[in-house]
Amino acid sequence: MKRTSTRVFALAMASALTIAACGGDDEGSSSTEAPAASEAPSTEAPSTDAPSTEAPAAGWAVNTDDCVDPDAANAPIEGTIKIGSAMPLSGGPAATAFAPVKDGFEAYIQWANENKILGDLTIEVQIEDDQYNKDLTPGAVEKLLDADTNVFAGIIGTPNNTAVKDLLNEECYPQLNALTGSPSFGNAEEYPWTTGLLIPYTTEAKAYAALIADQFPAGAKVALFTVNNEFGQVYAEAFKEIAPEFNIELVDEQTIEATDAAPPTAQVNSIASNAPDAILAVPLGAGCATFLGEVANAKAANAGWNPAIFMTATCSSPLILGLAGPAADGIYTANNLVDILDPEVAAQPAVAEYIAFMEGLGKGDIITTAAAGWHTAEVTVLTLKAALESEAGLTRASIINAARAFNQATTFTRPGITLKMNGVDDQYMSESLQVIQYNATTKLFTDIGELITDFES
Amino acid sequence: MERLLQYVFDGLSLGSIYALLALGLVVVFRGTGHLNFAQGEMAMICTFFTWQFHAWGLPLVVSVLLGMVAGFVLGAGVEVSLIRRVAKKSEAGVFVVSIAMFLGFNSLAGMIWGNLPPEEMPSLFPDEPDDFVRIFGAVWRYEYIGIMIVALLLMGLLFLLFAKTKFGLAMRAVASNPESARLVGIPTGVVLAASWGIAAAMGALSGAMVGGLAGELTSLLMFTPFIYASASATLGGFDSPGGAVIAGLLIGVGEQLAAGYAPGWIGQELRLGVALVTIFVVLLFKPSGLFGSTKVERV
Amino acid sequence: MMKINHGSPQHWALRTLGVALIALIIVWVPTQMSTSRIGQFSDAFVLIIAAMSLNLVLGFTGQISIGHSAFFGIGGYTAAILIKDHGWSPGYTFYAAAALAFVVGCLIALPALRIKGIYLALVTLAVAVLFPTLVKWKKLAWLTDGAKGIDSVRYDELPVWPILGELKGRDGRAVFAYWLAFVLLVVTYLVCRGLVKSRFGRSLVAIRDNETAAAVMGVNLTVTKVLVFGVSAALCALAGVLSTLRTGVITPEGQYVTLLGSIVFLLIMVVGGAGTLWGPIVGGLVYVWLDNTTRGFGSESDGVGGFLFGWSDQSPATLILGLALVIIMFVAPYGLVGLIKRLWVKVVVVVPKPAGTSLPTTGQ
Repeated sequence: MKRTSTRVFALAMASALTIAACGGDDEGSSSTEAPAASEAPSTEAPSTDAPSTEAPAAGWAVNTDDCVDPDAANAPIEGTIKIGSAMPLSGGPAATAFAPVKDGFEAYIQWANENKILGDLTIEVQIEDDQYNKDLTPGAVEKLLDADTNVFAGIIGTPNNTAVKDLLNEECYPQLNALTGSPSFGNAEEYPWTTGLLIPYTTEAKAYAALIADQFPAGAKVALFTVNNEFGQVYAEAFKEIAPEFNIELVDEQTIEATDAAPPTAQVNSIASNAPDAILAVPLGAGCATFLGEVANAKAANAGWNPAIFMTATCSSPLILGLAGPAADGIYTANNLVDILDPEVAAQPAVAEYIAFMEGLGKGDIITTAAAGWHTAEVTVLTLKAALESEAGLTRASIINAARAFNQATTFTRPGITLKMNGVDDQYMSESLQVIQYNATTKLFTDIGELITDFES
Repeated sequence: MERLLQYVFDGLSLGSIYALLALGLVVVFRGTGHLNFAQGEMAMICTFFTWQFHAWGLPLVVSVLLGMVAGFVLGAGVEVSLIRRVAKKSEAGVFVVSIAMFLGFNSLAGMIWGNLPPEEMPSLFPDEPDDFVRIFGAVWRYEYIGIMIVALLLMGLLFLLFAKTKFGLAMRAVASNPESARLVGIPTGVVLAASWGIAAAMGALSGAMVGGLAGELTSLLMFTPFIYASASATLGGFDSPGGAVIAGLLIGVGEQLAAGYAPGWIGQELRLGVALVTIFVVLLFKPSGLFGSTKVERV
Repeated sequence: MMKINHGSPQHWALRTLGVALIALIIVWVPTQMSTSRIGQFSDAFVLIIAAMSLNLVLGFTGQISIGHSAFFGIGGYTAAILIKDHGWSPGYTFYAAAALAFVVGCLIALPALRIKGIYLALVTLAVAVLFPTLVKWKKLAWLTDGAKGIDSVRYDELPVWPILGELKGRDGRAVFAYWLAFVLLVVTYLVCRGLVKSRFGRSLVAIRDNETAAAVMGVNLTVTKVLVFGVSAALCALAGVLSTLRTGVITPEGQYVTLLGSIVFLLIMVVGGAGTLWGPIVGGLVYVWLDNTTRGFGSESDGVGGFLFGWSDQSPATLILGLALVIIMFVAPYGLVGLIKRLWVKVVVVVPKPAGTSLPTTGQ
């Protein structure tokens, strides 16, 4: 008995593993190069022109020959268009922070349907929950693909978007407006169907570095504080790469675990002992507030040390900064969208309409975070509109072509900023930004310096 | 010198939190012979209770005390309803049940309080940036001093309980020989339930202090402290309360020193690694810990 | 209650029926169901393989381990690094991952020999928590890419297997992943079965029941424990490779690479039935089904789910799993498989051949 079963399993093992080994790339070379995360993708040659409003170049068009089903990618979409997305709706701190994005997104779609933005075409939207877990995003996207989704937009999270970009590019589905600032989402050559919406972390880091160099022309000492995950790591790498250009000396680099709720006392103490002129901080969510609290403590303990604090744009919500109280006063951050809590902004017609619409849906309390969803949906639908009006009509291919030729301002963009992409020449939507400073008493932001448009390609 | 003192101060304060949580583990182990894998999560959910009481308007100190009472009830309840029954069937089953509780409480806290904005948790002690005292150049914040004092006080109370009261005597009797204890008329059931209850209450206090330090609450609050507490209980010996305390302080100071003096190699990232390696080394060479007693098994 | 004799025609008929049923389901899934469902089955198979590996160590040998997520991660990372950085063909990474995990498993088991019970659990806990920490360690970032993880780990061209024909795009990948997972599942099952039913397997159970007695009876504790740990680690690594190929990404915070993963493997094993060969299979299927169904609960759903859990926006999946585990411990300590066996016995009993007779007695 033992002999037979041993033989059987040995045979099965051998055959199975042989079959498995037959798979794969026989050419031996790794043909999928890692989309460079630390190397800057095709150079963002700083152009000195103001963002133009001329017609976008008719040059770039996606190549559908390698698609699994080129006919489907070029087939006209009629009657209804279905948008799919994956967002963290449950499962922890990410959901708490980002779940309202879904509400904003769906609200805009409802508004767009009511106002017939796409004419007779109805827009459907289905947003799946991936709990900010990149292992669940592919399953969510598969489900949406099986449900006849035409286009994906506004997937939240760097790892989440990364997990599905191979799939969507192979199948030739537009992955628009990925809600991540990772520089690897500006790669029209290897991932033509994927575009990102947030300000690239590299650009943000450059803007801060430039401001630091302005304030400390003789060279500044800077310390980094990042969360120890993909988001923080990409940011840190981006900053370290450009620091030498701006005469910045990196004197300390500290990290904190995403799951560690304890305040980063030791990290901040270490930073303080190096007495940097400025700190660039990239904590996650609520960690923004604890970090600021610790810095306040360290400042009190080290009289005379008063570093300029730059925080990632993802911390710039008044909700999060409010938790830090007075410790958040004077921090620098950046944004390319308006502050809708500012009464002047709220009075503008388009913004006022948004607020009224949300209140009509009973969601008036989440208008700040939901605005991100509204914004994303708006950019998506405007892209669809451009595709609909293009020569090819509304097809998946024309959608991504329209996305890469986008050139407009939208409801929430700051005056002077247009969201612009241009084929392989300009691969990021949001490259202009405004450095802003937070006032903890009024809970509002003031603009620092001019609108930075140098990074627009 | 100043840096060394700083690390020692910080280490002692953090270490006292670990020690408190570790004491909970030890109490349960001594009383019932089991490791409560869910100690951290139970502490976390009690901290949420504390926050809730406070949000309803009760003063902070009262809320913390109520949270501890809630912890006691939770711990005792779990022992009576679950642990006791499963222990009869199989020992491994108890471990599995405590893992189930780990998952369950974590999930429950997320469900009940999850979608509210990150909870702001006030601290029991003054925690403005200026609230500190300088000793030989190193900064010792009132908050940290306060935590240490409270933790040490509670540990002192516990020792008194064990050594000087009848109940403590009963607990020690049940721990050493449940059968004889029962024969002598000690209500073993009550004692077992009380062990779990006390452990949970102590966990609740640790949670309140960690929450106060952090300033906000999430369901991941006690995950890393639990690891540190396990390391402390391991180092000190699972059946030695004094050992757990000393070990907790040692580990607290040790990890600060390691992280501070070896930033390239250990730094903040591998701080937890220090605790983990401690677990390895202790269990490989002296499983009973520094102060624990070696188990002699009857074959 | 029907009585059938072992080896009789009715017995064979029953067995054939069982096999046919299973074969039918196995083939029906990739050909008739939607792509995302096929993917769910592949995920279930991955979990089952991991749970079966844990079963060897915990279910059969009685050694508590909550560190298997580290082996899962070792498998996944080995494959990712070999494919991305060194251009390996994905098929061979299975071998490499298994070999590496085997070695690591043995290395961990060697010193852990004398440790028992909760202490062993603590050591394995430390291993499980240490793995993601090490992966993120700056000194190892050259290898693991740190917290970012490694992405785009996939077959560039799907191999052409017999019968399946040419597979394209995501549908093709899903079907291929399914069959690959299934084949590995069968291999793992046969390995486990072969081990368990052999003399080695009996010494495992002897160790579980009473180590000292086993040693007295001549079982070489050292060799046995180390070997079983090594094999278990290797199998778990296979699951890791499979998972990485399927999702294309591996990160240190991945679903089954952290301590939580070890806990899930444990859960599946216990719910299914520890110490049985089919336990992890049943457990894995139930878990994936439960996970997918409960994920929809919360404010969005109606019916019983909505009533019980509608007050919270969070998914109650883990809570339900925890509850299920506790219930199982009371109601069916031998897991679902034990439960099924007990119920099955009320319907059909297979009467074993009386020892020593050569002529089978005929049935009624």
